[in-house]
Parts: sequence; structure tokens; C-alpha cells
Amino acid sequence: MTAENLESLVNRRYEHGFVTDIATESLPPGLNEDVVRAISARKQEPEFMLEWRLQAYRQWLEMKEPEWAHIHYPPIDFDAISYYAAPKSDDDRPKSLDEVDPKLLETYDKLGIPLHERARLAGVAVDAVFDSVSVATTFKEKLYEAGVIFCSFSEAVREHPELVQKYLGSVVPRRDNFYAALNSAVFSDGSFVYIPKGVRCPMELSTYFRINAANTGQFERTLIIADEDSHVSYLEGCTAPMRDENQLHAAVVELVALEGAEIKYSTVQNWYPGDENGVGGIYNFVTKRGDCRGANSKISWTQVETGSAITWKYPSCLLRGENSVGEFYSVAVANNWQQADTGTKMIHIGANTRSTIVSKGISAGHAQNAYRGLVKVMPQAHGARNHTQCDSLLIGKQCGAHTFPYMEIKNPSAKIEHEATTSKISADQLFYCRQRGISEEDAVNMIVNGFCKEVFKELPMEFAVEAQALLNVSLEGAVG
Amino acid sequence: MTQAPLSVDRIRRAVSALPTTRHEDWKYTDLSSAIDISTRWLQEDVSRAPDAASPQAIAALTAAVDADWIVIENGVPDPSSFPEGGDIGIERLRHAEALADDPLARLNSALQRDALRIEINAATEKPLGILIIDEALSGAQVSQATIDIEVAPGCDAEIIEYHSSSGDGDHYSNSAVTLHIGESAKAAYVRIQDRDLKHVQTARFAIELDTDSELQMAGYDLGGGLIRNDVDVNLAKPGASANFNGLYLAGDDQHIDNHTRVDHRVGPASSSQEYRGILNGRCRCVWNGKAVVHEGADGTDARQANHNLLLSDKAEIDAKPELEIYADDVKCAHGTTVGQLDEAAIFYLRTRGLDQRAAQQLLTHAFAAGFVNRAPVAASREAVTALVEARLSTLVREAIS
Repeated sequence: MTAENLESLVNRRYEHGFVTDIATESLPPGLNEDVVRAISARKQEPEFMLEWRLQAYRQWLEMKEPEWAHIHYPPIDFDAISYYAAPKSDDDRPKSLDEVDPKLLETYDKLGIPLHERARLAGVAVDAVFDSVSVATTFKEKLYEAGVIFCSFSEAVREHPELVQKYLGSVVPRRDNFYAALNSAVFSDGSFVYIPKGVRCPMELSTYFRINAANTGQFERTLIIADEDSHVSYLEGCTAPMRDENQLHAAVVELVALEGAEIKYSTVQNWYPGDENGVGGIYNFVTKRGDCRGANSKISWTQVETGSAITWKYPSCLLRGENSVGEFYSVAVANNWQQADTGTKMIHIGANTRSTIVSKGISAGHAQNAYRGLVKVMPQAHGARNHTQCDSLLIGKQCGAHTFPYMEIKNPSAKIEHEATTSKISADQLFYCRQRGISEEDAVNMIVNGFCKEVFKELPMEFAVEAQALLNVSLEGAVG
Repeated sequence: MTQAPLSVDRIRRAVSALPTTRHEDWKYTDLSSAIDISTRWLQEDVSRAPDAASPQAIAALTAAVDADWIVIENGVPDPSSFPEGGDIGIERLRHAEALADDPLARLNSALQRDALRIEINAATEKPLGILIIDEALSGAQVSQATIDIEVAPGCDAEIIEYHSSSGDGDHYSNSAVTLHIGESAKAAYVRIQDRDLKHVQTARFAIELDTDSELQMAGYDLGGGLIRNDVDVNLAKPGASANFNGLYLAGDDQHIDNHTRVDHRVGPASSSQEYRGILNGRCRCVWNGKAVVHEGADGTDARQANHNLLLSDKAEIDAKPELEIYADDVKCAHGTTVGQLDEAAIFYLRTRGLDQRAAQQLLTHAFAAGFVNRAPVAASREAVTALVEARLSTLVREAIS
């Protein structure tokens, strides 16, 4: 199966542009205070949450869309979007895998997605996926025993309002930026994680998440709190092609690591990128930030970004605590007409804080791929250390690869290093591989995977394997 | 030749259109002192004669390097300094075309009374020196130089551009220099900026390279209160190569901003730049290097490097190496470092009997030394070394005490 087939298949869902089939549960398009109130009411949220949303909405009205990124897209009509849609009813879904397009199943096969997950990913009605239900229940019990709170954001607002109130917006304030403000006003749902003091989360939350994720909607909100000396690894998204009717996505993720805590946040993003002519595709405007609040804390972001027509995303670390550590490992692939402007911010505030940035950008087709990063060392951050490596790989003559790294250093004891290279897959490399009997496509995959290896090794094991396969699928047809 | 009259309205419009820090290219550099000086100057009589620089000062500066010096004093070229006949042609123009459509170019255009066009037709025995000297004894003064330089095809040219200013008054200079290097020609270019520590300079230097031509350039920023240099290199023809370096030394209350942009429009062509900074005291330096590889510029080799030595906890460096690449058969790389002197190196020297201060001085000088030795115009090396050493000694003394 070729990339074109996959795309045309995925594209079918987008024929009608922004418009969803208006189910009775959906709100009409447009945004005003009544819409915000309606969302909050439907979610049965406490008063403080409604107030918070309303303030965000009022702040959003005063803000302007950011224009500095190296991306181009037609203006977004924020009044043409419906800000609340109830999850699809089971009647609309396929009843079993037999009803799912065989091409899609073939992709799952290529990606090596476990059998029991395929049904859920293909959108098969939940009660048809009996296998996973029992698995999920086992997981739930295990987490409960460890004292870990892991639930949907809506549930957290109802069950743990004190935690939500304390931490929500403490890392990404409502008026942080245009899209964060919009998200704060209308966020649909997302995940909430709290790891108690000294607890090492007994499993990768990724595994659980993949089986249980509900339809979180286009304005996802995630909050993860790791209390003192705790540890958690969380994976968001998955390698399977994600379909969604909503073109605009604006998610906010907040991480809080208290003293000695460690959060590892991995993302695999494979939203619909648009067709080979650049029509359609998701606009993904994401604000992700982690706050190393306590001494010796650590936050590590790993991302594999292959989807979306537009990616605007800068997972960042505020390194407040002494000796805290921030990491950012990224592979961003842009093929066809995709545009990615992504990178990170490392803000060194505490003494002896360290950060590592490894960014690998791959451009093919007519795509534009930009790395944009900031390393800032505040005057009090004695002994701060940063190493940045950002490499670009170009495949084809029409694509672009760009780097915009900012370094703002206000402390003389800081050690900052930044390196960047740009290269292409050379004829020599291909010739060498072909001479040894490796097909051109395999050779390209091999070279690309080698290029990304430093990042893949940071992913949880099973996802590293899938991410590698995903990369091959994403770049299908890019060479030759 | 009579000078072109100035239009106060036009200057005022140009000043009010100067960029603010909200503009991405001016994020780290605030031009309000330039605006303030210009505004005060405009409130007085702009046509009054500027303060004259002392002939002794001019003589001392030009004696430092054995070159044929052209003197531009407070923006006015001195015709008696022009070389006669020979291989260098000099023409005074009432107006030179603006370089680029940007606010500083528009201000340069509005402020132009006089411009120079210099043609270098054959290699000369001595390098060509251009002394841009400004004097502001009191009040607020604005003056600038506008120069177009043409290096004829196949010619080897050596040029020194020396900016100097003095006086207790406030001074703002907004000069614009263009350099066109003809086919298979070679230009060695040294820029020295040693303005008074209160004075303000914005300077644009635009270089265009013809087929198979070569540029070797080095810039030295030693003085100035607020300095912003824009170097634009345009590689529009194949086979061209541009190599340019910069050294900035900043102490208390100095702000030195170097912005470079290299446009690789065709290949094969190569560019490489390395900027180094030594910062001490309450100062801020900015380096923003941008390389744009346009579609079809295959065979491009573009390199950028920036290294900074921070000697004070009040110093700030903002570095931004940018690459925009629209072609695939390219080699592009950049590297940036920020740090302080290596403790191990200091320890090594101390074990050899040097005291702390001597060790620090030695290492700091070593950080800059390579740049001084490599000044492209051989005749300028001695003078450059003396200037850099003198400035560094003051800086390092302050750092240690």
C-alpha cells in the first residue's frame, strides 16, 4: 500500500471541511460567553471552573493570533467552529474490524500495532472491544493500589477539585498565548495524573492510556503532577493514523515536578496531514510546558511529530529547582505540503540546572520544517549547562529546513553549546547500500532511522519500534 | 560641490519610523537613544556646521596604518584627501540610491547631503583607507557616511574602514556602505569601530559578489555606547566565496549588536563567518547570523560560528544562529558557545608559575588573538593588534579587580 492510498482513505472524512454532522448534542458554531457557560454546564463543573473559563475567554478576546512562526495558512474563522460535540454514539461506528477499511488495517499491520488495540483505533464501538476492557480493569486496580490518580480531566474537576484548582494554569497561565487562552476557555477534556510522594508509577501510563482514551476532542487539556520523589512516564497519542473532523486543534499540557520528581512525557503525533496537494489536514497549535519546581527534579519531553498540516508546538521546561534537569528529544517529519514550526524553550532559573536539546527535522516533498528554540539563562542560574544539537535532513529540492535558535545568557558561569547541521541523503550513501543488495526504499529508511536514533532511544520500548515503522510509512514515496 | 539640502520633515518621518524592540530583528536592541539624539538634533538648526575634528586626531588615526586615506569628517568627505589619478576613481554624488527598503536605509537616504562612489580599477600599492570621523563637542549631533565601492573585475583590492568619534556631546551615526566585487575580483576588507563609549552607531554594509569573486573581511568593535552593525552578503553568482569574521569587546554600558545575513541565491558558492565576543561589566552583546539558501542554490556551503566569553555576571549575550534552507544539495552548519575561561587551563598556567591575573589575561588575549592575526589587510594588522590589546587590557583589568 502506498502513502497516497492511505491519504486518500484518510482524506475521505474531510470532504466536508470543518463541518461535523451536527449531532443533537453539539453546540452551534461560534464562541461567546454562553457557549463557555454551556460547555461548563454540560460537564457539571464547579463554579470556580466556570469562572476560570470565562476569564480566559475574556482575555482571549483581547489577544491577537501569533504571526511570528514560519508557517502560512488561510485565516481561521473562530466563529465557524463548533466548540462542543458530544462523543459519537456507538450506532455510528463500525461493529467489528470486518467493517473497517482493509487498507487501514494494513497500515496497522505495517506499524506493528497489537491486535487488541486495532479495534479501538479504528473506532469500533467500545463494547465490541471486550479484550481491552478486562485489561483496563486490571490496570485500574494496580494504579489504585499505588495511590496514583489517573482519570479524565472532567472527572478530576469533579472528584479532585482541590488539586485542579491548585495546579491548573500554574504552569501555562490562561493568557500565556492566544491558543492557550482559547483552550482555557473551551477545553473539551484530557487527562489528569497525580503521583503521590515517593511513588514510582507501577506502569507506563501510555499503555493504559492507549486502551482507555476517550474521545478527548479538539481542545485537549492535560495536567500531570508528580509529587516529591515520584516518577511517572506518560505517552500521549499513538502511531496509528488519527482521524478527526475538527481542523483546528489547540491543546495545553501542564507538568509539575516537585522536589526529586521525574516526569517523562512522550508524544507520538500522527494527525491527518492533508492530501498530497496540501488540501485539508489538522492545524495543531499546542502549548506544552513543564515546571521543575523542586530541587533535583527532572522533566523530559520526547516527541515524534509526523502528522498535521501545521504543527506549532514548543514543549518547554522551567528549570526552577536547583539541579533540575530538562530534556527535549524531537523528531519532526514534514512531507508533501506539511508545515512544522516546533522546538523547545529551556529557561534556567535555579543554580546548576542542566538541559539537553536534540532535535531532528526531516523535510520532504514541498514541506517546510523549522526548529525554533530558546535557551535562557537567568542571572541567578549559576553553573547552568545546556547542550543543543539540531540537525536537518532534506529529501528533495522543493522542501525547506530552517533553524531559529535563540540563546539569551545572563550568567557568566553558564556553559552553552549549540550545534546544527543540515544534510541530505547523499547519492554515495544510497549507492553503498544498494551495492550491498539493499533496496533504495530500505536504504532510505535505514538512513533516516539512523538519523533519528538518538531520539528513538528515549521512547518507551514498544513505541520506539512503532515510531520507526511510522517514519517509514510517513516518508513513503518521498524518494525516487 | 554644494551639498544637498536636508528636509527636516523627511528626516522626522524617517526617525519616527525606526523599528522598536517589538520588531523581530530588533528584539534585543532598543534604538530609543538614537531616536532621542536625532530628535534633539532636529529641534536645533540642522543646517548649522558640525563640530570639527582636530587635525591632530585625524593625523594620528591615519598614521596608524600605511594606507591612502580618504577622510569623511562629520559626514562630509574632504576632497583634499582624495588620491589623485591612478587606479582609484572617486566621485562625489549628491545622492546614492538606498540599499534596501528598510527604516534605517530610509533614514540614511533622508540624511544624505553627500555620498561617495569609489571605483578600484587595479590593485594599488597601499590599501585604501576610509576614515569616518565624527566629532560632537556638545548637544546632540547626527552625521553619517554613504559610500558605494566598486571593485573592478579581476582586481585585488584592500580596504580599511575606520569609524571613530569623540566629544562630550551625543552623537548618532547611521552609515551605509555597499561593496560590489566584480568577476574574479578579490576584496580584503577590515572594519574598525572605535567610537566614543557614549556614541550611537547603526551601520549597514551590503556586499554583492560577482562570479568567482572572493571576500575576506574582518570587523572589530572596540568602542561605542550603542552599536548595531548589519552585514548583508549577497551571493548571486556561482563560484563566489565570502569569509567574514567579527570580534566585539564590550565593557560597562556598552551594547554591541552584530546582525549578519548571507543570501545564497545560486550555487556553488561558499560562505563562512565566525564572530567572537568578550564581555565584561554591565553590557549586552547580540549576535544574529542568518544564512538563507534559496531554491536552486545547490552546492552551497554555509558555515556560521559564534563564541562568547563572559567575564562578568552583569554581562548578557543573546545569540541566534539562523538557517533558512530551500535547497537540498547543501552543507550548512552552525555552532555557538557561551562560557567563561576554562578552570583547568587557568590551573595549568598557575602550576607553571603565572599568577591568577596573568593566567586570565593570557587566556583572554588568546581567545581574541587568532582574529587579530588574521586581519585580511596585512598593513592593518599592527594597528588592529595595538587597538585590540589596549581595549582588552582595560577590560581584563576591570574583570579581575
